[in-house]
Amino acid sequence: MIPLPGSRALAVLVTALALLLAPLRAANKEINLFAWSEYFPQSVLGGFTRETGIRINYETFASGEEMLAKLLAGGTAYDLVQPPDYIAEALIRNRLLLPLDRAKLPGVSNLLPEYLNLPHDPEQRYTVPYMVSTVGIVVNTERIKEPVTGLADLFAPRHAGRIVVVDDARELVTAALYVLGYPLNEINAKNLAEARPLLAQWMKRIKLYDSDSPKTALLNGDVDLGYVWGGEAARLWSENPKFAYVIPKEGAHQFIDVMAIPEGAKNVDAAHRFIDYLLRPEVSKAISDEFPYTNPNGAARRLLSAEQLANPASYPPGNRKFDTFRHLGETGALIDELITDLKNSR
Amino acid sequence: MRPIPPPPPLHARWSGLRLLEAGLGAWTVVVFLFLYLPILVLVVYSFNASRLNVVWEGFTLDWYGRLWDDTRIMRALKNSLIVAGCTTVLSVALGTVGAWLLHRYRYRFGRTLQTLIAVPMIMPEIVMGISLLVLFTTVGLKLGFLTVIVAHTTFCFPFVLIAVQARLQGMDPALEEAAMDLGATPVRAFLLVIVPYLRPAILSGALMAFTLSLDELIVTFFTASAQVATLPLLVFGMAKVGLNPMLNALSVLFIVATVAFVLFSEHLRRLGRRAP
Amino acid sequence: MHALSDTAPAPAGGRRAGVMAWLLLAPLGLWLVLFVVVPIAGLAVYSFCQRDDLGRVIYDFTWENYARVFDPIYLRILGRSVGYAAVTTVICVAVGYPVAWFIARQRSPLRERLLLLVMIPFWTSFLIRTYAWIAILKTEGLLNGLLQFSGVVTAPLSLLYTPTAVIIGLVYAYLPFMILPIYGSAEKLDNALVEAAHDLGAGPIRAFSEVIIPLTWPGIAAGILLVFVPAIGMFAITDLMGGAQVPLIGNVIQNQFFRARNAPFGAALGIVFTLMFIVTYALAHRRRRSSASP
Repeated sequence: MIPLPGSRALAVLVTALALLLAPLRAANKEINLFAWSEYFPQSVLGGFTRETGIRINYETFASGEEMLAKLLAGGTAYDLVQPPDYIAEALIRNRLLLPLDRAKLPGVSNLLPEYLNLPHDPEQRYTVPYMVSTVGIVVNTERIKEPVTGLADLFAPRHAGRIVVVDDARELVTAALYVLGYPLNEINAKNLAEARPLLAQWMKRIKLYDSDSPKTALLNGDVDLGYVWGGEAARLWSENPKFAYVIPKEGAHQFIDVMAIPEGAKNVDAAHRFIDYLLRPEVSKAISDEFPYTNPNGAARRLLSAEQLANPASYPPGNRKFDTFRHLGETGALIDELITDLKNSR
Repeated sequence: MRPIPPPPPLHARWSGLRLLEAGLGAWTVVVFLFLYLPILVLVVYSFNASRLNVVWEGFTLDWYGRLWDDTRIMRALKNSLIVAGCTTVLSVALGTVGAWLLHRYRYRFGRTLQTLIAVPMIMPEIVMGISLLVLFTTVGLKLGFLTVIVAHTTFCFPFVLIAVQARLQGMDPALEEAAMDLGATPVRAFLLVIVPYLRPAILSGALMAFTLSLDELIVTFFTASAQVATLPLLVFGMAKVGLNPMLNALSVLFIVATVAFVLFSEHLRRLGRRAP
Repeated sequence: MHALSDTAPAPAGGRRAGVMAWLLLAPLGLWLVLFVVVPIAGLAVYSFCQRDDLGRVIYDFTWENYARVFDPIYLRILGRSVGYAAVTTVICVAVGYPVAWFIARQRSPLRERLLLLVMIPFWTSFLIRTYAWIAILKTEGLLNGLLQFSGVVTAPLSLLYTPTAVIIGLVYAYLPFMILPIYGSAEKLDNALVEAAHDLGAGPIRAFSEVIIPLTWPGIAAGILLVFVPAIGMFAITDLMGGAQVPLIGNVIQNQFFRARNAPFGAALGIVFTLMFIVTYALAHRRRRSSASP
């Protein structure tokens, strides 16, 4: 279609390819990291590579479920994964994580005790907390004048078409359970049947599902309210304080994203080194600078500025106790099916 | 003797068509505007100092400079070129030889084979992606360059084969016989006579394969791993988050390179024609 | 590309294939069997399997996945996907045909240059181009800015994350795939034929519908194939421009594999989807053959 010069072009191409492929064989000092999108500053990854010569392949997922599916598909040998607590619990129960060598992780002592030995990993044998986040409501107070204090307000009919929600089936169902007054881990056919009509109404009012970066649509003004990760809300607040963060009055939970080494990892030693590198106060601070989630690292928190600590979405004021997700087993499939079906029947 | 009436003046007969032609031309301009509006946006934003791509904050060449230092983008670019290059070479080999054999010889299941060749072209990409994922995971093949290149070649080579087949249909059968009469073996005849004749078709097929492979997302999505993430995969991951202006800069470089390449080859061709 | 409409030409005369010819053809045949036939067979096996609570596939026979495919919810999604792809295809024909025709009527240097202009957008990632559309269509984007500045509207229009945005994205991504094959057919069209139709007193409409359309039909058919097939399975554009809230079959299949962790059900959807295509092609092929024979 397009005229091309001589047939030697192909030969040149082949030679060039051979040259490009050559260095690939040499590089086996690398770890395959499977983690949330938008969760590692480039400087942190680059700093580790400069220091150790170990290259990091950062592959991303947008939900805990996606992570589990790709890990189980076994297409790639990951050396390091970053599941949320309840997915980690499932992996531990199915013996899909390797126990960590604590001798190689002196940095664990930097972590605050309230984030250790939680139900998903009671002895802290398999996981190390990375960041913690609540899930809450963001309100663009310039556009939304009436107060929004809970989930029922958020999904009120008057907000139809102005809401962004994380693209995560379990978060949606949990929100509905809170409003109905059920504990968040009590998921069974009866509770879901009650939640269904409520969710069906809510989902008609949602404009956008986005787990990767719900803040983008809020910043762009495409939506004015959101049910999003605390870290996203924190970035919005630091961008412009008109984005208020509300912990829903009906109930709120936090999730702990952890680092863990999956069964079948090739580079276990390098993976440990990377985990310990992440636990260093100055590295952990650098992560907080770019991704202002709740930092479980006490030594790193001391390095944060007063302004960072004042961010209500990162460090919610008051001493409210937050729930955590537990692994659901069989009933997890019910959630998937409910949300898929509801989304599809719009 | 009656004089023959002169034919009606040409312009009168064609004025309706002229009008149509003008309308078509105007329409074409409108469509070109539609095609190039996003490209224009992209070019403008590649010089925008703002990182968020929202408002104009002044001219900068910064993104072009930083492009070369961004290891993720550079690796994705390298991966894409490796995949597209290998895919093209494999597709040309499979497609050209296949087309020639099917043209030259009568096979027992020729018709079935011919239909099978069309399948990857008409199969929805998503089905091809998941079926290959199922195959690779079942046999325990780790996702990597091999799996992506295999997947890409599967949907690219039929395009080469069909382009070559179309050209073969117009070939003078005497061409090959003449070569054979001069004492060439079938393989030599194929390489020395047939391949040069097929060159335009091979090149356009190769170009098609290269382009398809370079921009493929869906099949790649299911068959690639992080180490071999191609540009489209990288962009898909980044697009929701807010695209990095460096990617705009990279796209602009792609366009410039293409246009330069085409102009250059046209120039070469013109030179070649002028020389005896 | 224009040869696409003729995917199965009668095997050319040629001599009977010997051992050597079979050996040479073996790589091609093997490739097709290994990477087209076997994977689809594997997908079919998967579609009758079950899964455990983590989502791993268990090789126990069940019809359940197919029963679920024929649930009205999923049938509606299939219908909607066909609808989106069909609308995209029709718009592409309507928009692209005049352009292809116009380019084909131009003299040589201009013609090649125009064609090149159609192809250049191809050379940037379609995702990056789609992203540029997001910048244009979003609420505080360029189009709304322009409309408000010129006073056409007072409040910004909600353009992004709507079905219209999805259609714009799809048409934009696939338009060149329609223009190029139609151009291929139109370029070969003999000008004299069109003139003859005029001389015989055919009005422009009759000339168009009875002479031009049939003669360029192979190009249109190839274009339809090249646009409709990829458009129906696309999930990236619907995700990015539709806000993941108008699910199409591509999104649903992808979700089954990577979110709902129900690969068997995703496989069943894929198999039904493929069967639908095969039946359509078989019908189209038979019609073409029966209409070509007399």
